[in-house]
Amino acid sequence: MIMNPITNRQVLDLPIRESGAKNRNRIISGGALVVALAVLTVVLPFVTSGYVIYIANLLLVFTVLSLGMHIVIGEAGQFSLSHAAFYGLGIYTAGLLNNAFGLPLILNIIAGGLVAGLCGLAIGFLSLRMRDIYLALSTFAFGEAMQWIFLNWTPVTGGPNGLNFQPAHLFGFTFLSDKAAYPVVLILALVFVAATFVIHFSTLGRSFRAVRESEIAAAAVGIDVKRVKIFAFALSAFYAGAAGGLFTTFSTFIHPESLGFHTTILVLTMVVVGGIGSVSGAIGGAIVFGLISELLRQVPSYQEVIYGGILILFMMYLPRGIFSLIGRR
Amino acid sequence: MELEVLSLFLQQGIASGLVTGSIYALLALAIVIVFRTTDVANFAEGEVYMASAYLAFFLIAIVSMPFWIAVPATVFAVLIGASLFQRVVLTQVAAAKGVSVNLVIATLGLSYVLKGIVRATGFGDTPRSFPSVMGEGSVTLGSASLTYLDLTILGAALAIMAVFFWMFNYTKIGRAMRAVGMNRRASQLVGINLGHVQMLVWGLSGAISAVAAILIAPKLLMTADMGVVVTLAFAAAIIGGFTSLPGAVVGGFIIGITENLVGLFVSSRAINVAPFVVIMLVLIFMPQGLFGGKVRVRKV
Repeated sequence: MIMNPITNRQVLDLPIRESGAKNRNRIISGGALVVALAVLTVVLPFVTSGYVIYIANLLLVFTVLSLGMHIVIGEAGQFSLSHAAFYGLGIYTAGLLNNAFGLPLILNIIAGGLVAGLCGLAIGFLSLRMRDIYLALSTFAFGEAMQWIFLNWTPVTGGPNGLNFQPAHLFGFTFLSDKAAYPVVLILALVFVAATFVIHFSTLGRSFRAVRESEIAAAAVGIDVKRVKIFAFALSAFYAGAAGGLFTTFSTFIHPESLGFHTTILVLTMVVVGGIGSVSGAIGGAIVFGLISELLRQVPSYQEVIYGGILILFMMYLPRGIFSLIGRR
Repeated sequence: MELEVLSLFLQQGIASGLVTGSIYALLALAIVIVFRTTDVANFAEGEVYMASAYLAFFLIAIVSMPFWIAVPATVFAVLIGASLFQRVVLTQVAAAKGVSVNLVIATLGLSYVLKGIVRATGFGDTPRSFPSVMGEGSVTLGSASLTYLDLTILGAALAIMAVFFWMFNYTKIGRAMRAVGMNRRASQLVGINLGHVQMLVWGLSGAISAVAAILIAPKLLMTADMGVVVTLAFAAAIIGGFTSLPGAVVGGFIIGITENLVGLFVSSRAINVAPFVVIMLVLIFMPQGLFGGKVRVRKV
């Protein structure tokens, strides 16, 4: 095979430095942003109506999806283009369990995450045999095959007609509206945000990044590269599946059409535009691109042209992500 | 199933498979030459193909250009468009942060833009049929029957592949392309203009996609989503090892014939998922494909 020997590091061009070392400017502006966001999330349900809350819920789900993608591509440096499939597995698992047994919400979400995580474990084994573009293409193929199953396994998924869910419930309380679901979605999304920061600064996170920088060097310092890679895929899939479970708290309908490659691309864009390798970048990217893709629904005929144009311009002029603007000297 | 029917199905499946396979082979060729010389997996390939078909349709059916002007005009326009994309966008992306995930996202951006343009013009709203200049009628080979259009597609595709192989193997510019594919820095040292070669490769890949689109369009109903066939071309490229040109062609024919046989013997619904199963199986069991050569060991 004629290819230049490139390492994962060159493929993704990830920042070597830990995100702890920053200048004061960045900390101040970053802190201001976090405070503003916190105020906004608390005030939101009191000042706005249904549609805005729906968007807020959706953005929180995207945040969890984006964090899952961040773990596999940003921390561990592995390409994964089957995120929408894991998300779909989570949605169908949680929704179908809810319809069949009426379990409490938390159990549905955990079950969704576990089913997706097991599937991610299997995909993780692929990453042991291939990398870069080959890994990207095989995970892409897996994602498309899963969408085909969602579309064609009519007795279970409802096929092209989509699937309706019963409203989810927790501690005897049934979520009938976006507003009712919002606090739960917010708290669970924050749990995932906190977990991702914990992972980022833990031994596990450092092992992920060591594998990303150089598998051989990582192995030399005693990291079990195979186990770390497989675990990154499984964990990322668990996040996506749990995001799917979260989705069922405020939405009562899913159609396989929305679980295709373009959803994976949306999540990948969030991570890359946010600034690949940074946790806060993945969150910021999810909020910014989630909003952009929702706002573009207002102009259906130009939606794709504008979205594509934004992607190209970002890659041309802001490749290090939106946060590279903040606190730049 | 009776033996006679079986043999008829087999012959017809292989004959039709060669026709559609030649289109997959052309698209796979376009993907592979771009990947070899610029390290970019062009995820916009399907949309370049789709947009070319619509451009040709626009020139022939709306501007009412004669066929013999419209076809070269389309091919030329797509050639220019693709090389400009490489020149203006990809060099900037590579200069800003030359990493493959960013380049891939830039090509995905192009695919959204092209699809969006076709939808915004309103041509993509209803399926359209592309005018055919070939006469009606068919030829029977053995017990398989092929229309004149089928024969034209196969013949033209083979001719283009032959010209392309000649160019790639025996001309100076072809040698420059191969050199860039082998080692970028060394090729610059021997005086090859890297920027020009990469631009030309993108242009050629666009031209090949345009020809493929014009050839197959009369057989299909055109929609803005017709670019999804590119997954079959990716499957073909993977079977061939993703960096080998003969591999891409052989892979294209294998996929085309498999697709038709699956359609005849299994079910038409299975056709849609077959390429992804093929991609996964090939990558799991034979990551280098049929023509990919040996694995290189990477160093720290």
